[in-house]
Amino acid sequence: MANSKKYWQGFEDLVDSPLAQKFAQNEFAEDLPTDEFLGNEEALGTSKTTRRDFLKYLGFSTAAATLAACEAPIVESIPYVVKPDSITPGIPTYYASTFFDGADYAPVLVKTREGRPIKIEPNDLATFNKATNARVQGSVLSLYDSARLRQPMVDGAAADWNSALAKVKAALESVSADKQIALVTGTVISPSTKQIIADLQQKYTNLKHINYDAVSVSAGLDIYQEILGERALPLYRFDKATLVVSLGADFLGDWNGQNVAPEYAAARKPGNKMLRHIQAESLMSISGANADKRIKTKPTEYGAAVVYLAKKIADATGYSSSFSVPALRDDLKAQLDGIAKELIAHKQTALFVAGGNDSDIQRFAMSINMMLGNSGVTVDYTEPVYVRQGSDADVAQLMADMKAGNVDVVLTAGVNPVYSLNGFADAASKVKMHVALTERLDETAEKAAVVLPTNHYLESWGDYMPKYGYYSLAQPTISPLFDTMQTQDILLQLVGDGYTYKGYLKEFYTSKVASQAGLGWNKALQNGVIESDALAMSESGVSATPALSENMLSALVTAANKIANQKATGMDLVFYQKAGIGTGEQANNPWLHELPDPITRISWDNYLTMSAADAASLGFQNWHESNGGMNGNYARVTVDGNTLENIPVFIQPGQTQGTIGLALGYGRSAAGKVANGLGVNAYALMNNMQLWQTNVTVEKVDGEHEFASVQLAHTMMGRKIVNEVTLEDYIHGDAHDWNHKHTFETYKGPLTSSETNLWDDLDHETLHMWNMSIDLNSCIGCGACVVACHIENNVPVVGKDEVRRHRDMHWLRIDRYYSSDMNEAVAEEQGVGVIGKYEAMERASENPEVVFQPVMCQHCNHAPCETVCPVAATTHSREGLNHMAYNRCIGTRYCANNCPYKVRRFNWFNYQANDKFAAVNPAQDDYGRMVLNPDVTVRARGVMEKCSMCIQRIQYAKLEAKKKGDKVIDGSFTTACAQACPTGSITFGDVNNKKSQVAVAKEDKRAYHLLDEVGTQPSVFYQTKVRNKA
Amino acid sequence: MALYYKFADSNLVTTHLQFMMNRYLQKKVIALFIFLFSLLTAVPAYAFEGNAANGKKLFKQNCAACHKLDKKAIGPALAGVTERRTEEWLLAWIRNNAELRASGDADANAIFKEYNGSVMSAFPNFSDQDIYDILQYTIEGDAPAVVVDGNTPGTVPVPTESPDYVLPMMIILGVLFLLLISLLVKMKNTLRVVQGREPESIVDEVSAFGRALVANKFIMTIGTLGVGVVFLSFTYWYFMGIGVEQNYQPSQPIAFSHKVHAGDNKIDCNYCHSTARHSKHSGIPSANVCMNCHKYIDGSEIKNADGSLKYDGERSPEIAKIYDAIGWDPEAVAFIDNYEQKPIKWVRIHNLPDLAYFNHAQHVNAGQLECQTCHGPVQEMEEVYQYSELTMGWCINCHRETEVQTANGYYEGYADKIKEYYHTDKITVDKIGGMECGKCHY
Repeated sequence: MANSKKYWQGFEDLVDSPLAQKFAQNEFAEDLPTDEFLGNEEALGTSKTTRRDFLKYLGFSTAAATLAACEAPIVESIPYVVKPDSITPGIPTYYASTFFDGADYAPVLVKTREGRPIKIEPNDLATFNKATNARVQGSVLSLYDSARLRQPMVDGAAADWNSALAKVKAALESVSADKQIALVTGTVISPSTKQIIADLQQKYTNLKHINYDAVSVSAGLDIYQEILGERALPLYRFDKATLVVSLGADFLGDWNGQNVAPEYAAARKPGNKMLRHIQAESLMSISGANADKRIKTKPTEYGAAVVYLAKKIADATGYSSSFSVPALRDDLKAQLDGIAKELIAHKQTALFVAGGNDSDIQRFAMSINMMLGNSGVTVDYTEPVYVRQGSDADVAQLMADMKAGNVDVVLTAGVNPVYSLNGFADAASKVKMHVALTERLDETAEKAAVVLPTNHYLESWGDYMPKYGYYSLAQPTISPLFDTMQTQDILLQLVGDGYTYKGYLKEFYTSKVASQAGLGWNKALQNGVIESDALAMSESGVSATPALSENMLSALVTAANKIANQKATGMDLVFYQKAGIGTGEQANNPWLHELPDPITRISWDNYLTMSAADAASLGFQNWHESNGGMNGNYARVTVDGNTLENIPVFIQPGQTQGTIGLALGYGRSAAGKVANGLGVNAYALMNNMQLWQTNVTVEKVDGEHEFASVQLAHTMMGRKIVNEVTLEDYIHGDAHDWNHKHTFETYKGPLTSSETNLWDDLDHETLHMWNMSIDLNSCIGCGACVVACHIENNVPVVGKDEVRRHRDMHWLRIDRYYSSDMNEAVAEEQGVGVIGKYEAMERASENPEVVFQPVMCQHCNHAPCETVCPVAATTHSREGLNHMAYNRCIGTRYCANNCPYKVRRFNWFNYQANDKFAAVNPAQDDYGRMVLNPDVTVRARGVMEKCSMCIQRIQYAKLEAKKKGDKVIDGSFTTACAQACPTGSITFGDVNNKKSQVAVAKEDKRAYHLLDEVGTQPSVFYQTKVRNKA
Repeated sequence: MALYYKFADSNLVTTHLQFMMNRYLQKKVIALFIFLFSLLTAVPAYAFEGNAANGKKLFKQNCAACHKLDKKAIGPALAGVTERRTEEWLLAWIRNNAELRASGDADANAIFKEYNGSVMSAFPNFSDQDIYDILQYTIEGDAPAVVVDGNTPGTVPVPTESPDYVLPMMIILGVLFLLLISLLVKMKNTLRVVQGREPESIVDEVSAFGRALVANKFIMTIGTLGVGVVFLSFTYWYFMGIGVEQNYQPSQPIAFSHKVHAGDNKIDCNYCHSTARHSKHSGIPSANVCMNCHKYIDGSEIKNADGSLKYDGERSPEIAKIYDAIGWDPEAVAFIDNYEQKPIKWVRIHNLPDLAYFNHAQHVNAGQLECQTCHGPVQEMEEVYQYSELTMGWCINCHRETEVQTANGYYEGYADKIKEYYHTDKITVDKIGGMECGKCHY
């Protein structure tokens, strides 16, 4: 890590006193008393112990100690005194709960072993946000973060709860009637918590509650509220869409809290009704990478583009279009004409979405959907979504009030505005008392007078209403590890009517929810989610689908004028969230840092993404070092007077010229030892909570940055690694043409690789044969599987320096390939020579097509690794798995060398004990170790490791079947990656069971083996990617 | 032993007495005596006859968890209960004590209150005769203890200790040997003197023999090789033995005897190690499982081999350790409120390395193995030791030989395929992949 921090050992060190200098010079503070035992010449001279004798004694005692060490240590085995009924040692217990951190919402199942939560899985009963992403998967580690606060603090010193709460109460009591108390929280979607806040407001009538989202979508909420009177967003139904057009909305990555990936992937199933996806955007986002057509657009063009589209569509659908269209570049106009035509053709089943936090653009986006008749079909107003509540106006008002000295007490709960909101620290300094309710001593808590530590969500109760008619519960899965209290309990203490939140919630549920839901408390907790139209807890009830009224049309005119009046020069800066770190809520989670960004494939960093053209004109470069690492230059970025220094620049294919991108959530100073000092804080450049900034200046500054990138090659070099076909060819063409099976010339004539054999095969018929199908069409590259695999298999975290050397330990990686303008056909046509051809192939196109390919051990049935292992540490099983016996491995690495897929990872260090990894590896502290999966070995240094196809799960499932005396039922279990995959692109099962999903997938005409021509006969196969090209 | 009694002043007395006298004439005097005695002491009137042996069985099965004959446990001591209560009352109480209490019976409610509202189970399925049998048992009590070791009951077993003769014998033999040698040397020298030669000391003779040996290359080569082989094989087996802890028998914090529990009392292994069927761990029972029995068995009845009480009728100090761990007050017959429980730190005997995955459920439940297959005759062990080697060779060998329990529904269809594929009727574990690395190492 590029961390040049100097740690002072004491104040003297800082002032550089002579004493400190003296200490710095001498290794030992006091002279060692060597004279005492070496000074007496006489005693030394007469000693009978000669030097040789001494060495003999030394040798003997070493040998004796070595032999004595062969004795087995005494291991204690401590059973429960009273064993809880729900716990059987060795058997996991699952609890339904809910993850919501203000950004991501997901109903989850928590796997606990011997009372410790060790894994998060999606809850199968959920229908909304039913998938887990990388952050939700990783959230279990945040529970064991040793940087969590362990007791309340008052004025920077540890305190007990009574005195801390007394101090807060006293402060609240002393607020005069003309002053305010501000309670700043993230989005609150908990009905019971809203009730508690209302109770609190009854007691303290001048308490104001502000919903604050670090990454705000307030513009969309404001317009929804204006039209439908409720603060919500419509439910976007990708499953009902046949065409989605996104204007800068990365709906597969960071958007508005709706996790639409499952529905998106389901709608993209190849066939006549396959959803077509057009993305106009500035950065290369995950959504853009998945799009069938991608148009490079600057954010400052979004406004004009949306007005232009609206005009075209209004004209075609017969709406009044009196608004004026701002100027637009011609090539973009042509593209937009095409989009407008397609949108009109897909009337009612089209979907138009826009990103950012600009109210004019959001107004137009909403109107376009209304004009097309999408409202009620793909834009569902009857089930409004509440997962974002933040109000920019409220936040601005709060800042103004604080600055004016109108706020006496500010309570921040679960938010970190000092870090994520420009100017908050200044404003808060004008407040008499700042109370922070937080999990850790973060940037905001550092400034607060009273810090009240809160529970992790896995230690908390909770209820959530993310969407109309949809209610979910959270329950604790472990007692609080530290002396903490959950936010609601603290608020109830402040209300002071003797409730605990558990009791409050239960009462709330039984009185307000149970009857509508038709479920008792215990059953509801067991299910975790309740879906019922009868759950009428939103303020306004079911919303009617609105039509485009005259008022709204006239508002469009004003909005169009506002857009036309915007003047922008210079570069545009776009903020985005990485798949791992998101808004920075879990910044101290090493799993999420280690997860490489799906697009740039860089981990442990944020950086400016820049187009190649801009980089060339500004003098930025990326280059490779001899150790396999990539380096880059630093930039200084200035936005409206705010400057960020030393941001590394990464040249991103597909980035729109004139735009730069910067990920949020980095640059922490008080998140914990993992996150502190990593990257830069992009929030410092965020003005007015806008997700893009204009008039940005970028300058090159001195210095070289070392990136940790796991993939330096960008293209497939003309090979069929990811097989692709257009929808047209898929439907009408011959599979033999687009999914050609490689054949070998033999004396029997040409044979495919599965028909050719040098060996006697193992018995793969009598029992199971585990296979995996990976559908490249539905893989969106999100990285949830990578984190899930990491957790399930105790994969070590290795840190930035090691990742940079390509020594990352991920058992599963998602390769990302860009298309290149050069291929064999083009080379022939243009008469390019071989060297020129390959050089050109290395370069990605200006606006490349992108593919993602998850690659794990392919479990080759003719495995090249097995034949070269000198100690038979890697062998094959008759169930089609490539086994790896770690204790047998001597670390020659022949296997990794011989693996055509490069999926074997070598343990270069003892990551769980080596000091070098103390800051990053969670297995190095007593808390972090608790997350380890007890069914999987923690590998020692010097051995190879790789995907085992979650053999612990296979063995467990087989045993469960035997215990029941039943067959292993297809779908009753799956691997960690498949379970975490939000789009269901990974299918795992027994191909000997001909009815299993994977057996069906194996026969699909899209199925192919990776590097089929090598003849490895893998147990993993891929499904050809289908592009819906018009 | 079955004795039939009859108490009563009703006319039944006569018929039963007649019946009894016909069948058990030899007992009539005793019966009559007891009958008369019962009249004298004016106990409540009874008219039942019970089989004490059956009663004992029923008592052990149904009552012993809460009642003892001679002392208060969770419920009152039952010896003499027939003297305290009427027959109708006892029948009603035992059948359904809650009903009796609900009917407002004063005695029933008083006793319920006296025992802190501990609810006694209802036994509606007991026939009258069952209850009579049990009551009979409470009158008769246990038969005199039979010492289990096979000696004549009541006699003190003589320990057949054999004195250690080995060492004195060795010394005597050694002295004899030296005597013989010196006699031989003397004889030889005497012969030499007789022959007119110089006598030789034994030392010279031995060293001459030694020199001859050293001079002989063949003997030296063989000897060196022999010593080398012995040394190497010793070293090999020493190193191979590192980490093999067969016969490891650590002393435990509580002198728990598997012999008493699993052997003498025939408690099923699964009762305490209940998770062995479900989980990878067999599970060391938690103290609350011990308390299922030890609430009322406090060890005061444990007898030595000679029939004398081991702890003089006091509570066993070993069982007291469980009480101390869980917080049980044997005097008050109740758990102590807010007791800070102390976990029992057993010493683990079977230590597999972390790199090997072993699952009890797979072997005990799916494989239908007896615990003793790996753990040895635990029911005979006072203190458990590691019976098997627990080496990989030992595991693999068993996997080669043991047949798979194919009656399990999981193997339906598979079994036939395997038999056909391997041309065998015997499906051993290795035929289903039990020899593959990844089955135990992951």
